[in-house]
Amino acid sequence: MAISEVKRLAQALSQEYNSANPDLAKCGHFLSQLKIALIELSYLTHEERPNNIEELTLARDVLEIGAQWSVRTKDIPSFERYMAQLQTYYNDHSALPASPLKYNLIGLNLLCLLSQNRISDFHTALETIDPEQLHNNPAIQHPIKLEQSLMEGSYNRVWSSRSEVPSQEYLFFIDILMDTIRNEIASCSEKAYTSLPLSDAGTLLFFTNMEDILNFAKERNWKVNPVEQKAYFHSDADEKINIPADQIIKQTMFYARDMDRIV
Amino acid sequence: MSETPRRSTRLNKNQEDDTKGKAKPVDQDVEMEDTAADATSESTEKVLTPKELEALVVADIKQHFALFIKSAKTHEARFAIRALRAVSSLRKRLTSHILAQTIASCYVKGKFLFVIVDTISRLLGYLGSEAAASITAEHETTVTKSETPEVDVYLHLLVMIYLLDQNQLEKGMELSNITVKTVQELNRRSLDQLAAKVYFYYARFYELTGRLSEIRPTLLNAQRTATLRRDDDTQSTLINLLLRNYFHYNLYDQADKLVSKTTFPENATNNQLARYMYYLGRIKAIQLEYTESHQSLLQAVRKAPQNNVTAGFQQEANKLLIIVQLLMGEIPERSLFRQPVLRKALVPYFQITQAVRVGDLNKFQETLAAHAATFNTDKNYTLILRLRHNVIKTGIRMISLSYSRISLRDVCLKLHLDSEEDAEYIVAKSIRDGVIDATIDHEKGFMRSKENVDIYSTNEPQHAFHQRIGFCLKLHNDSVKAMRFPLKAVQLDAAEVEAARDQERTLVQEIAEADEDMDEDDDL
Repeated sequence: MAISEVKRLAQALSQEYNSANPDLAKCGHFLSQLKIALIELSYLTHEERPNNIEELTLARDVLEIGAQWSVRTKDIPSFERYMAQLQTYYNDHSALPASPLKYNLIGLNLLCLLSQNRISDFHTALETIDPEQLHNNPAIQHPIKLEQSLMEGSYNRVWSSRSEVPSQEYLFFIDILMDTIRNEIASCSEKAYTSLPLSDAGTLLFFTNMEDILNFAKERNWKVNPVEQKAYFHSDADEKINIPADQIIKQTMFYARDMDRIV
Repeated sequence: MSETPRRSTRLNKNQEDDTKGKAKPVDQDVEMEDTAADATSESTEKVLTPKELEALVVADIKQHFALFIKSAKTHEARFAIRALRAVSSLRKRLTSHILAQTIASCYVKGKFLFVIVDTISRLLGYLGSEAAASITAEHETTVTKSETPEVDVYLHLLVMIYLLDQNQLEKGMELSNITVKTVQELNRRSLDQLAAKVYFYYARFYELTGRLSEIRPTLLNAQRTATLRRDDDTQSTLINLLLRNYFHYNLYDQADKLVSKTTFPENATNNQLARYMYYLGRIKAIQLEYTESHQSLLQAVRKAPQNNVTAGFQQEANKLLIIVQLLMGEIPERSLFRQPVLRKALVPYFQITQAVRVGDLNKFQETLAAHAATFNTDKNYTLILRLRHNVIKTGIRMISLSYSRISLRDVCLKLHLDSEEDAEYIVAKSIRDGVIDATIDHEKGFMRSKENVDIYSTNEPQHAFHQRIGFCLKLHNDSVKAMRFPLKAVQLDAAEVEAARDQERTLVQEIAEADEDMDEDDDL
């Protein structure tokens, strides 16, 4: 396929995707067509034709739409694939003109890592970002603040950050994050309280509906006392501490062997 | 036997403060002392004319040739290592004239006439026309001896170092390209130690010209070959060069993959090991594996020679070590910040430490803002950002220790948090993470600390003892392994003992000088 053909396809895709009400299935169709076409150009390997800026830019733009499209269709593995491919375009091709979407997508990627609780990947990804952008770009600042609040335990702020998202695509990941947070809060509460009134549990967990609270309590095996309207948590104070016999035997044998060697 | 001298590289080299990569006018007196000490038979007090000095340097270089040839013939790496160890002291005394003289004198017209003439003119060409002109007819008639590639590569190396010191980067890069190619084509085991050095300067040239990413494939290839040949020196140097390369572009992901796919040779020199440990510590710190990071960094700090030359490396490693310690919830010792080499560089880190120790969030933010630029250049900013919740944790722990009961409102005020709800979540999380042992009473809005548990009723002491015993046993085993015994120790007569001692003394001195190698790395 010639480059003009690919260009035409890419244009059709971007038109469809950026229209007010995009047909996502159609975009997906375009994308798979384009990917095949791009492989014939300098899509992944470009050793023989370095600095072919036109083709590279084209490929990058298509991949960017692909990444956004994956978020819209809620396909996380596909999003990760697109991001992995984009990394080369962002990091290794300094000759390319900067993409306006770059930091938005990187921010999305960070959020995606966060929502899956891949904190160490999150930090590794953070290191590759230019410090200037790190401090000033709202798309990057958002996930960073989010991660900080998460680490501290200011779940309130995480909840309120929902209203300050830099773009619509972020919401998808934040919603996933909310579920993670709810479980976090629940596990903290189990340790921190002996009992909790159901209505208060509701506010802590950001539930508005009594039914949701009861369902959630059931899921986490809380003992609910319907008369007092209170949830009781399992306390681990009376758990027995086992003597780690196996381990002690192993260690002692190890000492004996080494001592024998010395004396 | 060959590995033992290198293991004990920790010796102090005093009053040297060579600045990295730049040619430094060496004080005449010091230079002469060095020279005199090196050439053993020379009387120390005599004042030498420049001409005699030159002759001495040339003699030194020639002596190294002999060592290389001996090393190649006997397949004993230690001779080559000995010669290479002297390079750092030689480095300060190199001039274009000396180099030109040596080059002219040791390439002789023989079988490989064309090759040799080619090399001579090339090497001389790099030294500049002035030096080439100084070669007069008198040198053309010098001794004939059989040429070995070791000597050839060694000369290339010397010229490279000279060019680096003269800041002639473009030329040096060109020459290093040629040398690397020669080394790869020659493929001789006796070149291994030299090759490591050659790669080091090769990468250095590319770094100084800002073209590091270009040599990555070459380094990776060379690394693979070195691994297959079990060439420890080259392998360790190359792994470090690659890591440095990745770090330069913040590609920690790839650096991590490299580390997980390679094994760092056990026999690597201390200097390389220290570097490797530093890189490893940084990767682990970024991946939140603080305990491992802490171990690596401690090793890096301890393995690095403790002198002024390596100040840069020590500072970098200690900065990172402080942050990692703080992230682990430990407070670094005060004495660390007092060391003369480190004191000035560590001031911002000291202030951060103070903020974390007190648990004062406001002070932490202020310090962070004040020194943001420093932290950014050190590439530690993101790591320090992570400390924020450590500050809060310390704050909560202090509160929990001092109050048996405190209202959440007061917690919120003390820690400068946004709201009471936030305080409740944060306290709950700290309880879950085991920072404090307490319960929250939600209805009445206070936090109640539990009585301290008796630590001796848990498995904790046993654990701590196990760690220590394990360490002692390992130390013992390692020292047994590291012991070496001379073959015919009994039959040595007095004269030989004396000679051996002499040799040892020069060796010790050379080890001390080799420590300077670290200085290349201190701008990381």
